[in-house]
Amino acid sequence: MAFVEAYNLHKTYRMGRNNTLHALRGVDISIEAGEMVAIMGPSGCGKSTLMHILGLLQPPDRAANPPPRILISGVDVTNLSDSRRTQMRARTMGFVFQSFNLVPTLTALENVALASEYAGQSRSTAAATAREALEWVNLGDRAHHRPTELSGGEQQRVAIARALANRPALILADEPTGNLDSANTAEVLEVLRKFNREHQQTIVLVTHDREVGATCSRVLLMRDGVIGDEHPRAAA
Amino acid sequence: MGLVIGGFMRLVRSLTRRKLRTTLTIVGISVGIWALVVMSSMANKIGALVEGGSIYYKDKIIVIDATTLGFGFGSTPLPLAIADQIRAVPGVAVTWPEVQMLFDSEAAAAGFGLPDLISGTVAGADQGREQFQVRAARGRLLTAGDEGSSNVVLGSDLARKFGKQPGDAITIRGREFTVAGVLEPTLTAPDTTALLPLEAAQRLLADSAPLAIRQGMVAAQLVSQIIVYPEEGVDIAVLATAIENQVDHVQTLTGKDFDEQIGSSVAIFNAIILGVALISLIVGGLSVINTMAMSVVERTREIGIKRAIGASRGRIMREIVLEAGLIGLIGGTIGIVLGAVVVVIANEAGRDSGIILFLLTPNTAAFALAFSTVLGMVAGIAPAWTAARLDPVEALRYE
Repeated sequence: MAFVEAYNLHKTYRMGRNNTLHALRGVDISIEAGEMVAIMGPSGCGKSTLMHILGLLQPPDRAANPPPRILISGVDVTNLSDSRRTQMRARTMGFVFQSFNLVPTLTALENVALASEYAGQSRSTAAATAREALEWVNLGDRAHHRPTELSGGEQQRVAIARALANRPALILADEPTGNLDSANTAEVLEVLRKFNREHQQTIVLVTHDREVGATCSRVLLMRDGVIGDEHPRAAA
Repeated sequence: MGLVIGGFMRLVRSLTRRKLRTTLTIVGISVGIWALVVMSSMANKIGALVEGGSIYYKDKIIVIDATTLGFGFGSTPLPLAIADQIRAVPGVAVTWPEVQMLFDSEAAAAGFGLPDLISGTVAGADQGREQFQVRAARGRLLTAGDEGSSNVVLGSDLARKFGKQPGDAITIRGREFTVAGVLEPTLTAPDTTALLPLEAAQRLLADSAPLAIRQGMVAAQLVSQIIVYPEEGVDIAVLATAIENQVDHVQTLTGKDFDEQIGSSVAIFNAIILGVALISLIVGGLSVINTMAMSVVERTREIGIKRAIGASRGRIMREIVLEAGLIGLIGGTIGIVLGAVVVVIANEAGRDSGIILFLLTPNTAAFALAFSTVLGMVAGIAPAWTAARLDPVEALRYE
């Protein structure tokens, strides 16, 4: 059974009175548990929108015919309430963004611990979990630094630790290496691959970078709001 | 505990990222709470004075000359013999003649709080009826044996004002007295009163009368009022009417008259000063709303991140509301400290002239602190609601 399945996803943005943007025009997608899938395509093809919908950050157009359906681990999550979607994000998903998106007033440790607190851990347990997660990304010694005191690569590793801390079944990464140099890119990918391999965490990442795509087990090509082509690859 | 402090420090750090703005908002709240504390302390002081009066007048009837206007301290003298007529009215248990006059012949009766007073009675002639008991802090109280002497017992504020201790000499209205004792503070009239033997007070009363009248006057036959204690179970209002009907040329004052005359004017005064304080707090509350609303806009992206990684709407709201509450708490604490400083300085400055304007009670401080915290939190609700309703994807795109 596929871990993530979605059918007939449409997303339309009204940009003005007579101007609508069709970001998604009927996407079907199916991702097996333990896969590491890259979604590639030119700017504006709807990659990020697809990520946001799969990550339950925004709903697809409900008016589509047939109606859209999203299943995670076989459970229909299409019409969950905001609080249930939030809970789902906290407990079964980890997010990594291009621009790191750490909370500037919190230390690395506190940033990572937030994810566990939101997933329901007590503050002390969350702190312990966060310390461990920082070790996974080799940042144990930077735990008490603020984001501004860390390099870009370090910040992204903190963000990855935050995404991994709760051992979520699904990790969604939107251009995780977009702001990184090649050395940091390699390091970030290595961490993601390691967790994909060792803990069978399903990873979906959006990227521009062909080399990043090449490290994934499958690449989905998007164009004009639909998934056009598929390139299965052996895991590198 | 460490974790609670950790959470608290997170809030503090969040607040300190816009130091100037947060500081200005806190100052705004502080000023409001400061005003509330100072004005409530003033109201407390007046409230204590009035409450003391209310208790004092509750169980008795004051009989004064018919020409005197209400509760005053410069009443027309009465002949002492009227006490015998009053005692003949059924229901009257004890009569206790008193000379009451301003301590200082030149001081005006009008003013803030109570003027300094002289009260002359034969100690113990109330036959144990008086419920409002004063105690000597130093020295002793007067007794019937002091009649004929020049002994005086000073209220606590009066003693401090003149710097007098038992044994010291004091000049009252041109006559020499010896301080026999100093009263414990009561927060009401006795604090600013000098208690004299009746005879001595009658002499002072005679001194103060215009020369033409004084010549035909026998000092020992005059008092300013007669305190009447009713017999058990007698209705005070009914007895007061009976006295007015059966004794010529007198009027009566009861606790009800006191509450109506003094209590209602104090209530208006309290409403005015609390109104002023509340207005300043509304301004403070609006400034918290403004600060938190701006803070939410600035933090849009951060809120998006938190929502994305699983923070519920409730959690986002709580965060903003607690932060706003913390602004209120800090502002309130500073306001109370500033208020306490003003109260202490003003009271110390006023003590020399016998003007104690303020009474800062723990209740007032606790109320002010709770009020400012709740005010901050309430002011934070609207911005918090906005923050909680942000669309995570939109918020993440926000630059």
